[in-house]
Amino acid sequence: MTNQEGSVSVMKRKTTTLAALAIVLGLALTGCGSDSSAGGGGTGDGTGGKLAGADLTVGSKEFTESILLAKITAQVLKNAGASITDKTGISGSATVREALKASEIDMYWDYTGTGWVNILGHTTTDVPKDLYQAVSTEDLKKNNVAWLEPAPFEDTYRIAVASEFAKGNDLKTMSDAAGYVKAHPDNGAVCAASEFINRDDGLPGLEKAYGLKFSNVVELDLGLVYTQIGKKCPFGEVFSTDGRIISNNLTVLEDDKNFFVEYRGALTLRKETLDKFPAIADIMAPVSAALTNKVITDLNAKVDVDGQKPQDVASKWLADEGLLG
Amino acid sequence: MSVTAPTTLRERPPRGPRRTRSGRSLVGYLTMPVFLVLVGVVLYLYVHAQDLDSIEVRSLNASRLTKAVWESVQLTVVSTVLVIAIAVPLGVLLTRPFTRRIRPYILAVFNIGQAIPTIGIFVLLAVAFLFLGFKAAIVGLVLYTVVPVLLNTMVGLEQVDDSILEAGRGMGISKFGVLRTIELPLSIPIILAGVRTALIINVGTATLATYINAGGTGDIIVAGLSTNRTLVQIVGAVLTAMLALFIDYLAGVAEDLLRPKGL
Repeated sequence: MTNQEGSVSVMKRKTTTLAALAIVLGLALTGCGSDSSAGGGGTGDGTGGKLAGADLTVGSKEFTESILLAKITAQVLKNAGASITDKTGISGSATVREALKASEIDMYWDYTGTGWVNILGHTTTDVPKDLYQAVSTEDLKKNNVAWLEPAPFEDTYRIAVASEFAKGNDLKTMSDAAGYVKAHPDNGAVCAASEFINRDDGLPGLEKAYGLKFSNVVELDLGLVYTQIGKKCPFGEVFSTDGRIISNNLTVLEDDKNFFVEYRGALTLRKETLDKFPAIADIMAPVSAALTNKVITDLNAKVDVDGQKPQDVASKWLADEGLLG
Repeated sequence: MSVTAPTTLRERPPRGPRRTRSGRSLVGYLTMPVFLVLVGVVLYLYVHAQDLDSIEVRSLNASRLTKAVWESVQLTVVSTVLVIAIAVPLGVLLTRPFTRRIRPYILAVFNIGQAIPTIGIFVLLAVAFLFLGFKAAIVGLVLYTVVPVLLNTMVGLEQVDDSILEAGRGMGISKFGVLRTIELPLSIPIILAGVRTALIINVGTATLATYINAGGTGDIIVAGLSTNRTLVQIVGAVLTAMLALFIDYLAGVAEDLLRPKGL
């Protein structure tokens, strides 16, 4: 085979792959459209004791924390007698949500802020005091999706700096940062990912709330942001419970004006699933309550920094805490 | 892709634009621009008729969109010009008899460049060398598109009939003269086909440059994806597609103009 033919056949292969992808996508879309009820195929005694006979599919978004929460949930429910299908790591918030609505999965962890803005389509200017209450009530009424009691941890946007930089310039809060940027306009760049740059409750709102104007916005893939803080930019967007905060030796600045919307994690599932297996709420409650900011950041770091498997991290934590008892 | 040496390169040109020179009438030349203008108008009217929320307004305004398209044009043009500057002379060198021995190794190296996904090169440059922005994006794009232009240059030069070259030499033209007045002109259609491929690949791949702070229409697409705003995604994707079609159209016109008479 000559090189030329080689590249031609590669081209051909690319088109066939694309065509195959299109077909698969088409099928997936039609799958979403049809409202076949699947999922809880078990008999479901509904007495609220055990989950024997329950056949549940646990999904998650593609990032570590979401996968971890799903693995924890799966093991707890399995321990209660349910048979679990693992569909963790679905790419994109919207996709996972669609999968839930289409009964491809039965439950996944979402965040109150995401529910309010992305799912229910509100803005960040009208955030109610009790965000969880508002989101769970409205989502149940509008979309038949139930939100269990949220965990205490909050995975929200924060601005972080390199720890040395924070110490050297005495930066603890966002107000300190605003002061620093004003005093050093030549050293006030922020690294951030597209979503943060474009969301009202991200950069635009943050700058307004603190009367701050970063000198330069460096748009990067989120994974790159953590590595560039303290290098290309002194400031950077992070998620407050990300394990890479520890590994990259970053200091998270306190949101002293309470600008960022609350992002508390909660298990979401279709109402029909919860009605069929009401015990899920009781079984998950103590687990959820144990997930504090520190706990989830440590667990995230075990996966992202130490390279352990989410599955193993989840089962070790559950065993250590005695939550499988 | 196979990395074996192109020993018999003259079998088939990669993209055979065998349109006759007079094949395109004025109407033919106008079809694509008119189509693109129509698409643009429809897109504008459609977006205008929507109620945009604050996130959509942030992406879908004239200055942001013009900036994104202009950045994409710069990325595409600069990377393609560099690719031509690298690949064409290299193609000439690699078809000379004295480079026959090293040819497979050099081709293998460039094939590796094309085998690595561009996003991988971007991330590598960012993480390992703290290299971000426009220049880093150009490096990624160039590495990816050198191969099609290089191969087409080599194929183009090799398909020139040996007897013509011998005739030229027999008339007392120097080796360089033969290259300049016979080989290169005769291989221009095939080289240009490779350049056209590179241009189109670059328009599409340039959308990834958004991940390393190099802007482009990828900014719009990713803004739409990450905030779940379908309208923003559509605008970004349609603009990218329009740009690709337009650049392909311009390259087609250039091909018609540069093709030597009689071919």
